[in-house]
Amino acid sequence: MFEYLPPLNDHNLPYPDTVHPIVVHFVIAMVLFAVLCDVIGYFTRNVRLYEVSWWNLCFATVSIFIAVIFGQVEAGLAEPYTAAEPTLNLHTLIGWTLSGVIAAITGWRYILRVRDPKTLPAPFLGVGVLLLGLVFFQVYLGDLLVWVYGLHTVPVVEASREGVFQ
Amino acid sequence: MNPSLIEQLQLGANGLPYQVPIHPNLVHLTLGLFIVAIGFDIVGVLFPLERSVFKLLAIPATRSNFFDVGWYNMLAAAVVTFFTVAAGFYEIMLAQPLADVKSAWGLEAMETMLWHGVGGVILLLLIVGMTVWRGFQRYAWNRDRARQVQWTYLLAGLGIFALMFAHGTLGAQLAAEFGVHISADRLLEIGQNPNLLLK
Repeated sequence: MFEYLPPLNDHNLPYPDTVHPIVVHFVIAMVLFAVLCDVIGYFTRNVRLYEVSWWNLCFATVSIFIAVIFGQVEAGLAEPYTAAEPTLNLHTLIGWTLSGVIAAITGWRYILRVRDPKTLPAPFLGVGVLLLGLVFFQVYLGDLLVWVYGLHTVPVVEASREGVFQ
Repeated sequence: MNPSLIEQLQLGANGLPYQVPIHPNLVHLTLGLFIVAIGFDIVGVLFPLERSVFKLLAIPATRSNFFDVGWYNMLAAAVVTFFTVAAGFYEIMLAQPLADVKSAWGLEAMETMLWHGVGGVILLLLIVGMTVWRGFQRYAWNRDRARQVQWTYLLAGLGIFALMFAHGTLGAQLAAEFGVHISADRLLEIGQNPNLLLK
């Protein structure tokens, strides 16, 4: 079966560069900006910003599922060495969790918006701030995987193929 | 930068005074906000075609709200990109890339760093220029029109997407091929085992 799959390059990928870190732009930036717009909108009573927040959240929800799919593919090809494994496991667990959490928050927002698009209850802001905390932690774990452990970078893939990590 | 100058600083294994680089994290914001800003303006311009889709999905949608997203996201992209470029220059000055490799695009480390540095400044100018252009469309020229943005603006945005793709790939190559600011890559270069040292 494996002969039908494309060959892996020096990043251990079937395509030139990692895609997951690109797709997550649209989760990180949109969630952060949605919460920022809600907070500014709440305190300045600018209801336009609630709409900006809602559409950004919608976009984040679509994006996170694509991010998880590419994340799974690239985690599966990452061949993490022992030191990197716990971080990759936790990043995977929180990634799936976030897909559910962001979808649920967007669903809640949908109902609030259908009922009255011009007001936002304070608890929603509170949940937004908690969501920020979760997103920041997840970004930090992803940063560790790339910038500390170097998964999918040429030197690490090469070392892994040569058995340096054994 | 001259290696002996970099040695004047107390730096970690990744060549930075902190654990993970800041620039790539701000890049998420610049790219996400810019691309989505153009995307929602396109949704706004094509709104007459989409009306039935939103109705089918039972999502209430007003045309002017898509232009709000296009404007505020672009404004935020312009603000954040100053910090993205500033952090990028700080970290590129401390970069010590692998010298004996060529990227997938056939460039060496120094060429890649120079193009990525120049490209970053050009992109900052373009993003700020697009924001000013967008502001004029919103608050002066097309203020009372149902369709707030011009096709030329959207086409310029799509052109900038292409530039961002090339520029981002150079940045990705600095990390994943030249090992810039990646602890594991730099440990491997000096013959250490990251599996033992990065526990």
